[in-house]
Amino acid sequence: MDLVGTKDTIPTSEASSGLFNSVLIAEDDPVFRHLLQSWLKKWNYRVVTAENGLEAWRALQQKESPQLAILDWMMPGMEGVELCQRIRSAGDTPYRYILLLTAKDHSDDIVAGLDAGADDYLVKPFRFEELNARIRAGRRILKLQDDLLRAHSSLEFEAAHDPLTGLWNRGAIFKLLQKETQRHLRTGTPLGVMMADIDYFKAINDSYGHLAGDAVLREVGSRLESVIRGYDSVGRYGGEEFLILVPGCTLADLALSAERIRASLGSRPIHTDYGEISMTLSIGFVASYAECRVETPDDLVRLADAALYSAKANGRNRVEGASHSLAQTR
Amino acid sequence: MTEPHLSAAKTAPCWKSTEALKLLNGDSELLRELCQIFLQESPKLLQSIKQSLSDKDADGVMRGAHSIRGEVSYLGAPKAVQAAAELEEMGRGDNLGRGKEVFSILERELEDVHIGLQNLMGASS
Repeated sequence: MDLVGTKDTIPTSEASSGLFNSVLIAEDDPVFRHLLQSWLKKWNYRVVTAENGLEAWRALQQKESPQLAILDWMMPGMEGVELCQRIRSAGDTPYRYILLLTAKDHSDDIVAGLDAGADDYLVKPFRFEELNARIRAGRRILKLQDDLLRAHSSLEFEAAHDPLTGLWNRGAIFKLLQKETQRHLRTGTPLGVMMADIDYFKAINDSYGHLAGDAVLREVGSRLESVIRGYDSVGRYGGEEFLILVPGCTLADLALSAERIRASLGSRPIHTDYGEISMTLSIGFVASYAECRVETPDDLVRLADAALYSAKANGRNRVEGASHSLAQTR
Repeated sequence: MTEPHLSAAKTAPCWKSTEALKLLNGDSELLRELCQIFLQESPKLLQSIKQSLSDKDADGVMRGAHSIRGEVSYLGAPKAVQAAAELEEMGRGDNLGRGKEVFSILERELEDVHIGLQNLMGASS
């Protein structure tokens, strides 16, 4: 697991390889534009040029536009400061690093530029090496930002997924159930919930070992994912228990669907490094609909669980629906 | 007030490439390219400043002078930088009273820079 992203570092003088190697130059003055372009190309950056603020703004709206922008303070059309503000209020993700160029040396202007959202500034005439170093500093910030976003999305994924099967974990599937229940109560479209459990899973662990058990869980997870519809959700609820949410499905359809899942999952043995393992699934299901409403996620889980218990008691490798009377007791 | 300027401009060497080359990390090829663009562009900028001055367009004067100042600051022409900066400040302060006077200094300095640049271009080509 790599939470801090890739380990590649930014080269000290060249940008030919690595991240953030393209730069936008917004500069109306042809002498400076040529100067910047020629330096940046020498340092192997890919350069996009704009002759005024508006052109720069349009260039930044393009796909894969540079994340590093060098903006001149004073430009016709839209000035650097205004462009800064626009970029910031658009709230671009990933972040854009803005280096403002100014021939001014009034510190008030520098404050205004930084307040408008610039990350750094350079006063003309700046030296060759100074610009290079400032751009490197900008790339470091972009790299940090990128690492942070990656780490964030990877943590977000881990927080909601079961590491073994890659399915939603218990907390996430329950949250989805809460949402689906709310939607169901608001719109009145039916909601089905299934609790599926691998039969004699302990026996599989005991005879093939826990690693084989893990392989079975992974395969069951992937088979479940492939057999449900696009708007259904499946999560690992407990050890060998899976919760499946089936919104917008009548009771009759739900029963058919549960049967189809049971039949499909047990239809062929699971190929593992420890041998071919046959397994079956028992499923309990419950539907909430206009004539027979179940009001809370807890009740839905409880009823699906009870139905699963009946399926187990009645011989396993079968599906059972929660009885209406049972649902109506609440 | 303008007298010392005038005499200084006539006696001191008008333009040296050493300063410019220092800023450009010794890249004389790049300096030649920049000079070429400058020789083409600066007359247009001067013309627009002149127009802005007669239109009493302070913002236009400020912008034009600002551009010239940026360019000459790279070419190592401190007197032209100074004149352009002065003109830029006048434009910013909407106080063009001495505008024409400073403009003529700038014009003269740029003429010298042009001669220096053309010599450089001629000498190295």
